[in-house]
Amino acid sequence: MSYFLHILIVIGIYLILTQSLNLLVGYTGLLSLCHGAFYGIGAYASTLLMMKAGLGFLPSLLLAMLATALLSLTISIPSLRLRGDYFVLASLGFQTITFAILYNWIGLTEGPYGISNIPRPTVFGIQVNTLVSFTVLSSIAACGCSLLLHTISASPFGRVLKAIREDELATMSLGKNVIRFKVTAFAISAAFTAVAGSLFAGYMRFVDPTSFMLSESVFILSIIIIGGAGNFPGPLLGTLLMIILPEALRFLAIPDSVAANIRQIIYGALIVLIMRYRPSGLFGEYRFK
Amino acid sequence: MENVSKSFGGVCAVDNMSLGFEEGKVFCLVGPNGAGKTTLFNLITGFLHPDRGHIYYHDRNITALAPWRAARLGVGRLFQDIRVFKRLTALDNVLTAFKNQPGENALISLINPWRVAREERRMVERARDLLSLVGLEGNEESLAEDLSYGQQKLLSIARLLAADADVLLLDEPTAGVTPVRIKAVLDLIRKLADAGKTVAVIEHNMSVVYEIADWVYFIDGGQVTSFGIPNDVLGDPNIRATYMGL
Repeated sequence: MSYFLHILIVIGIYLILTQSLNLLVGYTGLLSLCHGAFYGIGAYASTLLMMKAGLGFLPSLLLAMLATALLSLTISIPSLRLRGDYFVLASLGFQTITFAILYNWIGLTEGPYGISNIPRPTVFGIQVNTLVSFTVLSSIAACGCSLLLHTISASPFGRVLKAIREDELATMSLGKNVIRFKVTAFAISAAFTAVAGSLFAGYMRFVDPTSFMLSESVFILSIIIIGGAGNFPGPLLGTLLMIILPEALRFLAIPDSVAANIRQIIYGALIVLIMRYRPSGLFGEYRFK
Repeated sequence: MENVSKSFGGVCAVDNMSLGFEEGKVFCLVGPNGAGKTTLFNLITGFLHPDRGHIYYHDRNITALAPWRAARLGVGRLFQDIRVFKRLTALDNVLTAFKNQPGENALISLINPWRVAREERRMVERARDLLSLVGLEGNEESLAEDLSYGQQKLLSIARLLAADADVLLLDEPTAGVTPVRIKAVLDLIRKLADAGKTVAVIEHNMSVVYEIADWVYFIDGGQVTSFGIPNDVLGDPNIRATYMGL
């Protein structure tokens, strides 16, 4: 039962990560490789606000969202004039810099030692200190974030993002300030990522920079590529598939020493096959080029 | 525009050009390929900035304005290569073009979805009317990429109308459109001009030029080489020889 609940919690956290990345990748057409960095910034921000400033979980979460959204401007404003491969490289640079800061700013982040004994979240006076209560919290957060992100993407704002994805120049010619839309999408996406980061920190009670490396950004992006982007079901079903599949593989008689490698091979092979035969992912609307 | 020049490397695409468009009239820009006509539209709409000279919209200098600002002021553009939003439906293509939509603010769409939904219903009706006006009724839910070339052109015209621009710069609006629809497009252009819009059309089809143009600019080598009513410009023996091979 505990194992099942743990999987549900992980699904809830990744659902927030993929739905928020979907706003950038699937709706705006920005292939971002720094979602892991925002995830980490959110986790560290809420942890530090709780442990050093003594704030509660919810105020820390809200401030972490704000901080992550503001920090997203440091990449979005300079790099959003870039397109295609150049933007991917800029986001990769941001990911690398963020990891380097988390790893080396020992006075603030404890560097490679990480921060342990993070307090369990307390929400409206209820302490979330059991697996069941954390499953409820992460499920509520995942549903709430998905609903808000869906409302945003289904609105005229989301329609303009899609137009930008399809043809940036034509969108400009209709009087839309493309840079403003992209910066806003980036900030919203980053803010929601902070929710996932706060949940992760509260659940694991320990954060260290290795949880937010480039491999994490690549993993979140792979979920979107495999599940599909530009609509609601793609990231949802991609998340379910990519979280449950490796767990299902545990039941096969694969030795522990090679299990992780086989998992990586399966991810890689899936991505290659999807790109080749189904460029819009299994359930997506946006076709990766 | 006054004394506008634009070069690409060593090639002068627009060479010290001065011209103007007037409200309520249709101006056709005619000339050989590479004469600088599309570059002229790119300069007016802010997609390119001139090396020299000034561009005015009414009395406002719009020389270095970003494309979206020029569009907000009322300068609309129909691209030669159509540029519809291919993975959006025809209806969404048109809806995207409407100005001042409250739902384009992400915060408003979250805190006041009812206002956004009310406004959206109103716009959907207008968008359907515009699609019907250009002959695309019944295709509202089709993805733009599934429409034929001619239909995509009509869709881009509907999108331009939704943007409600005062100055319409149309780059070959009838290319690829069936003869039956060409008539409808030309009637529409005339109606827009009669309603007070300023219309400039790049056109290679001379029968179209004769039918809709009030004035014709003949452009060659980045310069206006002739200006006047269609009969005078297109009847010029030099132009007939160099451009039409007659």
